[in-house]
Amino acid sequence: MQRFTSALFLLGLGVLIAAIFRNMDLAASTPIVGDAINAAAAQQVGAANFVTSVVLGYRGFDTLMELTILFTAATAGGLVLGKPRGDARPDPEAGLVLRAGADLFFPLLLVVGLYIILHGHLTPGGGFQGGVILAVAFFLPLLARPGTPMSHRAVSLIEGLAGASFIVIGLLAMPEGQAFLTPLLDKGQLGSLLSAGSLPLLYIAVGLKVGSELAGLLAQLAATEASD
Amino acid sequence: MNELVLMVALPLLTAFLLPVIDRLSSLAARWIGPLVLLLTAIIGLSAWSQTGSGAITIELGNFRPPLGIDLYVDQLALLFALAVTLGTLLLWPAEGEQRLRQSTLALLLAGSGSGLALSGDLFNIYVLYELIAVVSYGLAASRGTAAGQAATLRYLIVSAFGAALALAGIALVYQATGTLNLAQLAQLAPTQLNNGQGLAAFVLMLVGFGVKAELFPVNTWVPEVYATAPARVAGLLAGVVSKLALLIIVRLLILLFPQPEALTVMLVLGILGVLTGELAAWRARDFNRMLAFSSIGQLGIMFIAFSIPGKAGVFAGLAVALHHLVVKPALFLLAQRWGGSLEHLAGVAKGSPLAAALFILLALSLIGVPPLPGFWAKLLVMIHLLEQQSSLYALGAWIIMAGAALEANYLFRVASSFYRREAAATPPAAHRTGDLAGASLLGAALAAAVFLIVPLADRIEAMAGQAADRDHYIQTVNPEPLP
Repeated sequence: MQRFTSALFLLGLGVLIAAIFRNMDLAASTPIVGDAINAAAAQQVGAANFVTSVVLGYRGFDTLMELTILFTAATAGGLVLGKPRGDARPDPEAGLVLRAGADLFFPLLLVVGLYIILHGHLTPGGGFQGGVILAVAFFLPLLARPGTPMSHRAVSLIEGLAGASFIVIGLLAMPEGQAFLTPLLDKGQLGSLLSAGSLPLLYIAVGLKVGSELAGLLAQLAATEASD
Repeated sequence: MNELVLMVALPLLTAFLLPVIDRLSSLAARWIGPLVLLLTAIIGLSAWSQTGSGAITIELGNFRPPLGIDLYVDQLALLFALAVTLGTLLLWPAEGEQRLRQSTLALLLAGSGSGLALSGDLFNIYVLYELIAVVSYGLAASRGTAAGQAATLRYLIVSAFGAALALAGIALVYQATGTLNLAQLAQLAPTQLNNGQGLAAFVLMLVGFGVKAELFPVNTWVPEVYATAPARVAGLLAGVVSKLALLIIVRLLILLFPQPEALTVMLVLGILGVLTGELAAWRARDFNRMLAFSSIGQLGIMFIAFSIPGKAGVFAGLAVALHHLVVKPALFLLAQRWGGSLEHLAGVAKGSPLAAALFILLALSLIGVPPLPGFWAKLLVMIHLLEQQSSLYALGAWIIMAGAALEANYLFRVASSFYRREAAATPPAAHRTGDLAGASLLGAALAAAVFLIVPLADRIEAMAGQAADRDHYIQTVNPEPLP
């Protein structure tokens, strides 16, 4: 029965894909919304990086949900992944190269990550990309010295507060009768660091949340495997 | 009306903060989740009367659609947002060691489910659908058993495959129209989606979103997950989340896809769903599995009903969906203690007479015995199916009849075993008060509906009329015209 169902399903999918390729006119794409955003973003949102105006301005609600997906995955992961066994020995300390490399890279990764987050509204990059680099900065020392784990309390505190501040910034517009996630503050001069209103603040929240979440998840994965 | 967004934002905010709150006071962490859901339900209820006369739209971030994302609030959307909020409250799945993480996931389920019901943007719907999918993986595996995790892994694979198909469908729509706003898509659909590419996009989205709606043939995850997940979670997935996925499919069908072939595809898959679901339920020897297969059959009936063109189909489908929304969670609440082999349930009526009586009430309504609400819902579907003057629709009607006969056979078999003289060797433990109270509440609602059937039907018909009205949707959102 199951084999029959699968065969039927694959047949249907094949017919569908064939039909798509026969009918679709790839040259006739009409990105009307894309064009409209390109025309209006600089004036409406004030971020030099138009991708950011879409990610945090026009489609900020999507971004909040993406952020929540990551949080949910981390929570669900925590539910499924076991705790390390009580008698499990921690992994031995890494060799000189990795330890020295981790020490050297830590400040560098920190600066690069923060730079990318803070300039997300000006240049390619932003909270998600910068957040991942921050997570690596904190995970690398853990690889080098598994005996001294990072503080779970601090990680979950940053994670919770960063996520909450994204929503709170969104809610702040509402007492004045504006809709959720309306950009606040002055738009400023296009292209300067202090521009695009509250968008950079949102990206800082995103960066901290992504960073702490990923670091926490990686640390938990590392701890789960620490059994002999 | 801006405050309706709090139905999404507040549960998410609370979920983010829950680990922090728990550190300050574990008592607060225990109670804040249900309290916030109660608050959001009140916010939703207070907007109920305003949506009666006409739908409302909320332009998030103050950007006018189609550039920004909008929430579209009509009575149907609000009803489902309320259903997911109140359903999560009633079936609050947090217990035991992992209480904190389960509460977090439950809040996320309520928030993302409300968002899914209200969203008016195709890509936003996809993101929310992914979110609710990840939430349900976590909840389904939360019991921590190996069987549960294996079932969840299968669920994850099927669901991720479905999401990829749905995304491909969305890409096809975007390629053809250049926009993602549902209202603008509804404007463009008669000229730009009324072709083969549009039909292909619909089928991809139907199968993709159909994974959660237990559509044949992408429902292979259902029996294992419902048998191994905590019963409250199974009740939420079968009762509420499946209807949300169905709601999206129906919305897309009304707004985006005018071609009659789309309805035929849905009808055929619905018929196959009823057939396979009811036959498998008839053969099942495990309480949860039986409920799972019967839920596949019921969703098949909904797919058949929604494939009837026009307002009549929406009305009939909604009636079956709302009935199932009440009955299935109640049955899963009873399954909290009665899960496992049906043999164990012999003679349980002596120990727990209330639970046995509730089961019989719910089963009778599920089969469609007059005067219970399930009968009226099925009758409505049958009348509109036979009105269609088409042999395929008539076949659908006969299949539903045959399915009801099978349902009657296996549900009565179980019910009569409850009253057997000799009890099972290892009878199940008595129900906890919370489970029994929840099931009784839903049973009482079902019984009350018997006496309110005429006003209820009028309300649902008005709701269906509002939802089936494409022009009303377009005018309410009023997307900015683009060149």
